[in-house]
Amino acid sequence: MKRNRGMIILFLTPAVLMFSIIFLYPIIRTIIMSFFKIDGITDPVANWQFTGLSNFIRLANTSLFRISMWNLFRIWLIGGIIVMSLALLFAVVITSGIRFKSFFRAVIYLPNIVSAVALATMWLQYVYSPKFGLLKTVFTNLGLTSLAKVQWLDNDHKFLALLLAYCFGMVGYHMLIFASGIERISSDYFEAATLDGANKVNQFRYITLPLLKGVFKTNITMWSVTSVGFFVWSQLFSTVTADTQTITPMVYMYMQIFGAGNSITERNSGLGAAIGVLLSVCVVAVFWLCNHLLRDDDLEF
Amino acid sequence: MRKKVMALALTTAMAVSLAACGGGGQTAGTTAAPGTTAADNQGGDAQPAGDGSGLVYWSMWEATEPQGQAIQAAVEQFTADTGISVDLQFKGRTGIREGLQPALDAGTNIDLFDEDIDRVNTTWGQYLMDLEDLAKGADYEATANAGLIAACREVGGGTLKSIPYQPNVFAFFYNQSIFDEVGITAAPTTWAELDAACAKIKEAGYTPITCDDAYITCMFGYHMSRLVGEPKTEEIVKGGQWDDPSVIATAEAYADFASKGYFSDTIASNVWPAGQNQELAMGTAAMYLNGSWLPNEVKDMAGDDFVWGCFSYPAVEGGTDGVDAANYGAQVLAINKDSQNAENAFKLICYITQGEFDKMLSELSIGIPADSNNSEWPELIACVKPVMDSMTTRYPWAAGAEANADMTPIIKENFLKLCGGSMDAQGFVDALKKAGN
Repeated sequence: MKRNRGMIILFLTPAVLMFSIIFLYPIIRTIIMSFFKIDGITDPVANWQFTGLSNFIRLANTSLFRISMWNLFRIWLIGGIIVMSLALLFAVVITSGIRFKSFFRAVIYLPNIVSAVALATMWLQYVYSPKFGLLKTVFTNLGLTSLAKVQWLDNDHKFLALLLAYCFGMVGYHMLIFASGIERISSDYFEAATLDGANKVNQFRYITLPLLKGVFKTNITMWSVTSVGFFVWSQLFSTVTADTQTITPMVYMYMQIFGAGNSITERNSGLGAAIGVLLSVCVVAVFWLCNHLLRDDDLEF
Repeated sequence: MRKKVMALALTTAMAVSLAACGGGGQTAGTTAAPGTTAADNQGGDAQPAGDGSGLVYWSMWEATEPQGQAIQAAVEQFTADTGISVDLQFKGRTGIREGLQPALDAGTNIDLFDEDIDRVNTTWGQYLMDLEDLAKGADYEATANAGLIAACREVGGGTLKSIPYQPNVFAFFYNQSIFDEVGITAAPTTWAELDAACAKIKEAGYTPITCDDAYITCMFGYHMSRLVGEPKTEEIVKGGQWDDPSVIATAEAYADFASKGYFSDTIASNVWPAGQNQELAMGTAAMYLNGSWLPNEVKDMAGDDFVWGCFSYPAVEGGTDGVDAANYGAQVLAINKDSQNAENAFKLICYITQGEFDKMLSELSIGIPADSNNSEWPELIACVKPVMDSMTTRYPWAAGAEANADMTPIIKENFLKLCGGSMDAQGFVDALKKAGN
């Protein structure tokens, strides 16, 4: 085939240019910013003060940032286990040939199309209300008085309350990805397994799960990326000022860049950039681990 | 050759469409002067502020909010009277907080903007024009609130760089009917009087004090500032001086109230606006430390028969500050120092903050008027007037309790526990010390 250099350059240049401007430049700038003390995010470079690794050291020594990282880890791990388990379960049920499949799929996905603000308000002001909340009513009717008295939004329970509310909205999204992965598996395998006497559990264990490795990888990566960007739910569960049980690194970053709450606090966009760098490293690490632990290139179907 | 022409055409089309995607700004409302076109009003990016064709005004409100509606009306009247077009852009609180400084740094044409007094003068102080001469020329101070103008000068570094509107004050708001029912004839002015009032309210079966997580640190800050003054409070919070006697004294005062059952049973789990809506407005709780915007926020729930009372945070025994100190302030309007339309911009500021439209803003938002000629305050907040008028010392937000962003969530967590009764005073101090920072 005859190669036309001019044509290749002509077609590639816009894409390369756009990639460089929209992705590469901000990444490089953020990494550089993380080594400086910068008040305003758009301050001219002349006003930046080089501080070496001090932003990273300060983050490591700040208990609130460590708390935010711990919260992020808990959201990622515990939330991840809850969401992935439920999403997989629902995906298996939805693809098992049940009636009203589309209806159930739509119902489970529904929270994804409702505004997070509306959802959070429902959870905060209704479900968890210690006065007339759904949980209080249900537990009272079941005679579980000690559970009915629990204040779900106090410091001891707020993280759990946040996690449940968040997971409720995330299951449907990951269920769809799992379901599409399961539907991709040819029914021939299941028919053959049935003829060989394998029950549904064994079919799931030995056919569905191994063939879903790639989908797992996708789901875990997607979950990690959305967890790292955990911001809106945290803000909704602690309006105005951040909360030790709901703060995440993204919220901490926002406080550093735009100021915290209603007070005029010290701003440092360099510190915010350092958080961005750390979070990127976390996502890359998770992605790398997934790629090594969940190898699916040995399977073809 | 044909292929090359085709490729060039496609590439050009792609580039143009991408460029088109990048254009366009958020404009909520443009009032065009007679004889001008919309194009005249477009403030092109990266141009020096003020191109002579009109004003560009970035506001912190949403167009649908009462404040936004009053400002829109003022702008329309201004344009009708002067023929000067105004590109009024409602950015919302987050929009202006995140977007104003980058826009100014990029040279966007913005003549005037508004936000909180402290943020405008401190965070954006370098972009402000000195308004002393313009204010003098318009004899602005003849009808302005002297205390607020003084506050603007103070945060502006001794000179007037912003003009206040929609003033507010942070104090205890209470249900007058409960006070009347239990026989409290005068609002408490000392901590001991507050204690006695709470005891009466508690005995009558009401919750004396409630709060929400969003405002709980204000109680800590106010008490600390009553004891040692706001600058010292800020020093303690920023420097982590948790061994200062004022910290344990504050914690003990609140632990004492908690042990007497003066706080709401759910104070530790009240996520805003649960406390103000479900307890204060519903008439089960009597007092709430909040801003003068509170009656407006809960008016639909509280109903027409709710009678509001207001008193300044009480003085404490042996403390340095009295009831004449509080966090009071306003939203302010400021002019970009690079604006070429400063005189017109100031004229517009006068339209918004004086006379008819200041009154309209006050009535629509049930807020305090900025113009001293508008002496009639909305009925719901008439109780705030004596408190506002008595102020001589100004605290910043939360009376300094939130001055250290790294500590605010930790103070909040532990103060909620203290008020909820699950932590004692020493535990509170220990928790702050353990958190460091």
